[in-house]
Amino acid sequence: MGIVLSRVFQALFGSKEVRILILGLDNAGKTTILYRLQNEADDNIQTIPTIGFNVETLQYKNIKFQVWDLGGQTSIRPYWRCYYPNTDAIVFVVDSSDRERMAIAKQELMAMLEEEELKDAILLVFANKQDQPGSLTSTEVSEALGLPDIRNRQWSIQEASALKGKGLFEGFDWLVTCIKGGEA
Amino acid sequence: MFSLIAGLIRYLFSKTEINVLILGLDYAGKTTLLEQMKGIFKKVQGIPPSKIPPTVGLNVGKMDVGGCKLTFWDLGGQVRVRSLWEKYYADAHGLIFVMDSADVGRFEEARMAFDTVKEQGELHGVPLMMLANKQDLPEAISTADISVQFDMHKITKVAFRLQPCSGLTCDGVAEGIHWIVDEAKKRARPRVDA
Ligand SMILES: Nc1nc2c(ncn2[C@@H]2O[C@H](COP(=O)(O)OP(=O)(O)OP(=O)(O)O)[C@@H](O)[C@H]2O)c(=O)[nH]1
Ligand SMILES: [Mg+2]
Repeated sequence: MGIVLSRVFQALFGSKEVRILILGLDNAGKTTILYRLQNEADDNIQTIPTIGFNVETLQYKNIKFQVWDLGGQTSIRPYWRCYYPNTDAIVFVVDSSDRERMAIAKQELMAMLEEEELKDAILLVFANKQDQPGSLTSTEVSEALGLPDIRNRQWSIQEASALKGKGLFEGFDWLVTCIKGGEA
Repeated sequence: MFSLIAGLIRYLFSKTEINVLILGLDYAGKTTLLEQMKGIFKKVQGIPPSKIPPTVGLNVGKMDVGGCKLTFWDLGGQVRVRSLWEKYYADAHGLIFVMDSADVGRFEEARMAFDTVKEQGELHGVPLMMLANKQDLPEAISTADISVQFDMHKITKVAFRLQPCSGLTCDGVAEGIHWIVDEAKKRARPRVDA
């Protein structure tokens, strides 16, 4: 995969802060994705240690990635709200082989999408762990998550294996193109 | 009493909300057209044509046209994502089918997809426009020929239009959109938020 991933994000470099939330149930593969981003990026990268309530932050020039586990821990949820404003994109990571927890993943995702302050954020779903036998396809995952019911938000789904570094480039490329829009 | 009047005023001045669904084979130029519309109707620069990725999900475009609040839904055209199309039929007030006028090799496939869409019961009474896109290309087939090849004389839709256009030069785009908005407006009701 080389340094392609960091090249994808290059298009967003500038003075304007870009905020990307990476969410999903535990074990979905979020940290692996974050790790990939870290490896890919150069010295400009800075990880900010987990602060109290399980939020990992990665700052890459003007781009800020924030990662947290959905599910369980409802008590810390109010703290998350301070991260919502000005979020450009939500990256939802799902373990495509975890059929049992698909319904919970859906519930958690839908709850996030209902947050008023996240209504302008675009959504990228990684149907992760495609290397696992019996994993659902992106079409099956999008059905299971209820993505076809979305009416007011730009979204895309990408099959991926964060472990093998597959699909991440394609997914983030879409994300960057959409965030950037028509800005030269 | 006051709330009644306030409601009436809101009713009178509320803009009709229209949802327009954009379908067609992959590579037809749907997303390119949607991004160009943002430039035409919103005066904001959309994603440049050379940068547009294939769609695997939903693109949403909101803009005001002809006194209406328009929401465009642009879906992917690849076979594996076409199952999404039907999820939007029931909420659509207008339907745009985009085709690549220069790709004769896929006319049959386009025709079949078009036939399926135009015969949907859920889309009954919904104005339909075929955008014969990529007319800027020298090998593009004219709308006269397309109309024959797609048996358009057999279309029984109350409101149907075949519109030549180009997502690169933007020719024909505004004209077509104004038509579908006018047609949809005749049928949609203004929504009043209580
Ligand atoms: N010459 C020419 N090329 C066009 C025109 N419209 C779109 N294209 C090109 O056609 C290709 C496909 O365009 P898209 O807008 O991605 O097509 P799409 O219909 O959204 O495709 P899917 O999302 O896969 O369904 C791109 O390379 C565009 O630059 C046009 O009017 N003329
Ligand atoms: Mg598209």
